[in-house]
Amino acid sequence: MSVNVSGQPLPQGIGRVTPGWLAVVGAAAAALAVGLYAYSREASEGLIETGLGDPGTGRGVAWGLYVAFVVYFVGVSFAGITIAALIRLFRIERLQGIARIAELLTVVALLLAALSILVDLGQPLRGIVNLFLYARPQSPFFGTFTLVISGYLFASIVYLYLDGRHDAAICARVPSRLQWFHRLWAAGYRDTPAERERHRRTTVWLAIAIIPLLVVAHSTLGFVFGLQVGRPGWYSALQAPAFVVLAGVSGLGLLIVIAAFMRRVGVARERLDEAVFSLLGRFLMVLLIAYLYFMVAELLTSTYAGSHHEQLITQALLSGEYSTIFWASVGLLVLALGLMVWQAVTHRWSIAALVAAGLFVNVAAVGKRYLIVVPSQTQGQLLPYVPGSYAPTLGEYAVVVGLFGLGVLLFALFMKVFPIVELPEEEVPAGA
Amino acid sequence: MTAVATPKFGMVVDLERCQGCRACVEACKVENNTSQGVFWMHVFRLEEGEYPETQISFLPRPCQHCDNAPCVKVCPVGARYKRIDGLVLTDYERCIGCRYCVVACPYGVNYFNWKQPAQNYYMDWSDPDIQPASGGAVPPYRNPDLDGRYGSEQKRVAGGGHFRGIVEKCTFCVQRIEKGLQPACVTVCPVQALVFGDLEDQESPVSTYLRGKQSFRLLEETGTEPRVHYIGGRPPGTDVREIEPLQGRAGT
Repeated sequence: MSVNVSGQPLPQGIGRVTPGWLAVVGAAAAALAVGLYAYSREASEGLIETGLGDPGTGRGVAWGLYVAFVVYFVGVSFAGITIAALIRLFRIERLQGIARIAELLTVVALLLAALSILVDLGQPLRGIVNLFLYARPQSPFFGTFTLVISGYLFASIVYLYLDGRHDAAICARVPSRLQWFHRLWAAGYRDTPAERERHRRTTVWLAIAIIPLLVVAHSTLGFVFGLQVGRPGWYSALQAPAFVVLAGVSGLGLLIVIAAFMRRVGVARERLDEAVFSLLGRFLMVLLIAYLYFMVAELLTSTYAGSHHEQLITQALLSGEYSTIFWASVGLLVLALGLMVWQAVTHRWSIAALVAAGLFVNVAAVGKRYLIVVPSQTQGQLLPYVPGSYAPTLGEYAVVVGLFGLGVLLFALFMKVFPIVELPEEEVPAGA
Repeated sequence: MTAVATPKFGMVVDLERCQGCRACVEACKVENNTSQGVFWMHVFRLEEGEYPETQISFLPRPCQHCDNAPCVKVCPVGARYKRIDGLVLTDYERCIGCRYCVVACPYGVNYFNWKQPAQNYYMDWSDPDIQPASGGAVPPYRNPDLDGRYGSEQKRVAGGGHFRGIVEKCTFCVQRIEKGLQPACVTVCPVQALVFGDLEDQESPVSTYLRGKQSFRLLEETGTEPRVHYIGGRPPGTDVREIEPLQGRAGT
């Protein structure tokens, strides 16, 4: 794929619309339209359109599906930029092909997380304005808005931009309708050795900054729950680290799925080879083991030494109202781990098996996030209220589907205007 | 410097006196104009043991106006705040409706306006059949004090049913306290099971009432430092169950 020879088209099918791509975009746009309609109902009638309610005498839950997906989307964003930063820091050349997908996943997932918060607010407009006017660092939410949504998102966009300038410069040499865009992105970058060196140094420092930011940011999200002394099931020091680890599991899983899809549709097959996937798979396996360890430690503590109310929640998870979701999630995690271990032992990594594992851990992660948010509100009342219940409405599901639609749409649009897999360096003539 | 100390308001609930009539629940709704399914004051009717050896008890639950209030701590925009006189109030012009206070409160005293409050009263006041009787008022009873600004902060904090998509809760009837009146629930209680006043002042009726009696506060182990003290009973154990719970989700 020598892109700099004049007359050659842009790499990776950029600018060329195919029927398959149109079908994906159409489906995603339809999903987004459904979500927008559902949200318009909510915006005009209020959150009465959801299945949420007041805990206590209202026997409902105040945080439900939306908050579960805030946590899920923020979790997914974890893997993206981390992988990209780790690749940069430890010079894992083999994974270079996946860096751009990872960076984009972070940016898109964080946007979706911010939107999930917005749809959950009773006064979304005030939410945006008042956070600028009156934000309080004492609230655990402060970290979610400043570190996760603003700082992390900003750092990720800068990283994506800087990392993309090299490819933008190459694409900008090809005359096309998108040339202005590639020129804009390259912003004068010509890929001379000096420029390349300067870029390398900048991105390394950015990567060094991003990794601690990531741990801190994801921990603050865990603390949103973990610091609530009045909520048995939330109040736990393990909450923050477990959040970070499950975030990595779901993010890596989704990264594998997206990369496999890109490979499947024929984008830079040679850059997304089995070696990339097996490395991601090993990484996923380690995180999965760490997460299961956290889970067992938490369960053991709450069943053996938990307070009355914590035991009620654990019971609801293990054998009560939530046992189906709980065991399905745990089962999928264990199944995914089994797939990984089997592949690691036999040294035969199959992309299909990894994709299956990636899907399993993501479904499980959604389930686990839901189980963090909901049961502590229905069964976790410290005063003798009648236990509550919660069933998301069709509208809530529709909004979530719409968010996923938006995510797919953003990915699909990006891959048609920019190389979604980094162009190899060696194809660039020195001092062009 | 003035010599007059700021009062520190608090409440004493005499469980020996409470008979579970829920007149306070009703008075609160009328005074504060709260909408359907919203109970700023709630009285638990509790049962313990197996038939025929059952024991019944009652537990009024206003907002505890904690000194170390979890809801104040978590509010991202400072809409929920603690006043110098001990009241925990919500600035309903600032609240963004994230409901963090709702999930953070161990007592479950917060209520969110899930829909337009005007559409959420027990009766449809705009109904043409109702109009002749109500004289066209919507709703017919609307306390003008609920729209005032209170305290040195001059914030709109009194009463309920103001905006959709915000959280409201018991205010100890701030609009009455500022006039020197008692909260509605205290005034209406037929057996004077609720006593309200300045807990800082050792000579106030509420302090005198509390003095020398064995008292407890709800969920003291959570470190919230509530300003509502209970006497004449014991904290609800883990084997009590709520009977005759209040019905209805707000807005359905």
